[in-house]
Amino acid sequence: MTARSLSAGIGRSVDYDRLLNSLGAWALALIWFLPLIYALWTAFHPGEFATRFDPLAPLTLDNFARAWEAAPFARYFLNTVLLVTFILVGQFVLCTLAAYAFARYRFPGSSILFTLVLLQLLVMPDILIVENYATMRMLGLVDTIAAIGLPYIASGFGIFLLRQTFMTVPKELEEAARVEGAGPLGVMLKVYVPLAKPTYLAYGLVSVSHHWNNFLWPLIVTNSVETRPVTVGLSVFSAVDQGIDWSIITAATLMTSGPLLIAFLLFQRQFVQSFMRAGIK
Amino acid sequence: MSILKKAGMLAGAAALGAMLSTSAQAVELQFFFPVAVGGKAAQTIEDLTNDYVKANPDVTIDAVYAGSYQDTITKTLTAVRGGTPPQLSVILSVDMFTLIEEDAIVAFEDVIEDGADQAWLDAFYPAFMDNSTTGGKTYGIPFQRSTPVLYWNKEAFAEAGLDPETPPANWEEQVEFGKKLTKRDADGNVTQWGVRIPSSGFPYWLFQGLTTQNDVILANDAGNETNFDDPKVIEALQYLVDLSTKHEVMQPGIIEWGATPKAFFEGQTAMMWTTTGNLTNVRENAPFDFGVGMLPAKVRPGAPTGGGNFYIFKDSTDAQQKASLDFIKWISAPEQAARWSIATGYVAPRPDAWETPAMKEYVEGFPQAKVARDQLEYAVAELATYQNQRITTILNDALEAAITGQKDPKTALDEAQAQADRILSAYR
Repeated sequence: MTARSLSAGIGRSVDYDRLLNSLGAWALALIWFLPLIYALWTAFHPGEFATRFDPLAPLTLDNFARAWEAAPFARYFLNTVLLVTFILVGQFVLCTLAAYAFARYRFPGSSILFTLVLLQLLVMPDILIVENYATMRMLGLVDTIAAIGLPYIASGFGIFLLRQTFMTVPKELEEAARVEGAGPLGVMLKVYVPLAKPTYLAYGLVSVSHHWNNFLWPLIVTNSVETRPVTVGLSVFSAVDQGIDWSIITAATLMTSGPLLIAFLLFQRQFVQSFMRAGIK
Repeated sequence: MSILKKAGMLAGAAALGAMLSTSAQAVELQFFFPVAVGGKAAQTIEDLTNDYVKANPDVTIDAVYAGSYQDTITKTLTAVRGGTPPQLSVILSVDMFTLIEEDAIVAFEDVIEDGADQAWLDAFYPAFMDNSTTGGKTYGIPFQRSTPVLYWNKEAFAEAGLDPETPPANWEEQVEFGKKLTKRDADGNVTQWGVRIPSSGFPYWLFQGLTTQNDVILANDAGNETNFDDPKVIEALQYLVDLSTKHEVMQPGIIEWGATPKAFFEGQTAMMWTTTGNLTNVRENAPFDFGVGMLPAKVRPGAPTGGGNFYIFKDSTDAQQKASLDFIKWISAPEQAARWSIATGYVAPRPDAWETPAMKEYVEGFPQAKVARDQLEYAVAELATYQNQRITTILNDALEAAITGQKDPKTALDEAQAQADRILSAYR
């Protein structure tokens, strides 16, 4: 195909492109939203309307009350919040320091070390459950919130993401800061970290939602109400032997994912903006 | 940032507090339990445990909810390999071989002391002990045990001109009844199916009902040889597939376990095969009169047993093992077994539990509860082999391939047998 016919083809297809894009976006949004709509419908109506649509069906909060009573959710919520905060702070500190070193310093073995970090991305965390458990036991941390979080703190993904972002920061900015008398840590905190804010935001979002939803590892490494996160409380409802009570399980799901959803809706402008700014730079 | 740091330190402090709060007492037991029948079961187990601790102040029991059966075995094996096993746990009876292979559990014969204890061991229903003993030793004590039964909607039966008190007695009748019970609307869409045999996740269990009725076993007692390619097994699978393809009395494709009771309550199916663990749920939620019967027979009546056993773990002190045994003896005693059975619908695993006043009263008001017990006479051990997870996965995959029409039953089962042989030949 010649260059001319190629560009003509592109010119003609622009409108279709847009149309297809919007159609695709709507379709994806709808598919994504359907379970949520179903959950909202089921959670606020009595059980007999779970699989029947009737616009006049009576509304009720009974499902939420029953779900709330079925497990100590207040405590579980506190645990989950402590857990994701602990992990996020830990990840930010460790990943920033590691990424800064990998991005701006040449030291012997740096590429081998960085390859090792990348290798971490290839290992399924579930494979490491037994090893991680043994480590936590050695540290005497079994059945603590720290034990749930520690294996995730040195995140290979976080280090990789931040290193790539730091590499795009112009050297001149760093040099200017050095001239002003900033040391290595000062440069990192005053130049690199502020410029990588969108990356931090994006990574924080992924990290928080992942650990908010994590189930198997917390279930295995904890035993008591004082340390267990909401997902463990949620699992009480998915007992297949008895058949699933959709009303209660959707109410509980909305309850546990609610804080995240609300936070996202509140901050979505900042999120989207920060992603866009990251794109422009 | 500094606020976040403070929160992190708080988290650390809270974690430390949680760690230190475990107090030291005479005998401490950790007890993992799965929940497969809804939140109320967890409450009942915790209540029973608390009652025991109250009566026995020299023992503390930390009852830990460990998720589904699958989660529980994962959690337990992780803890065993990590060097901190629980002292006792309820785990699927079919995981016995896995636990033995991991050298994680002890035989009850090695913990019990005298003839009275032996008599206690001998008092459980033999059908439940099939899955709990191997090589002449007992490794599991039946606790939350179930067996599949047939539930039918009496109103739907009456409407279809069938006797509401008589369930289908055999495979042919099940098809015949099913045809009468299947209702279609003007467009030919089915509004009510005749029967529903759930097949998601672990289709092998109900399938084992069919094979037992066809008088064939799926695996030998030693757990190292399977019979998946036996012509009778193939015939059973053909019947299951025919229910939806040839006779059109069952919804085609994979049928969800979790959604099955709901489909029954809402009249989408007139009969369902499911576990007795559902009895209390159906009793509380079915808006119509329902019957519970044994599964229809072919050559003979038959069903597998299922559910969880108590195991005692090896890596505990003698005092802990003794205390564990004592607790298991208490919780499986007639009064407690009856209480547990009434709360959940699980089959009380000992004849004497059915003689308690509470149980008698319950059965009088709800005779459906007796069916599962009476069916035990024809029940066989649930499929259990070495490498049980892998073998059942192979069979499940074959069944799903046949149910969804990707393979014909014979090909699917022949292939499954070949794969199973490859794994099990190491154990012969």
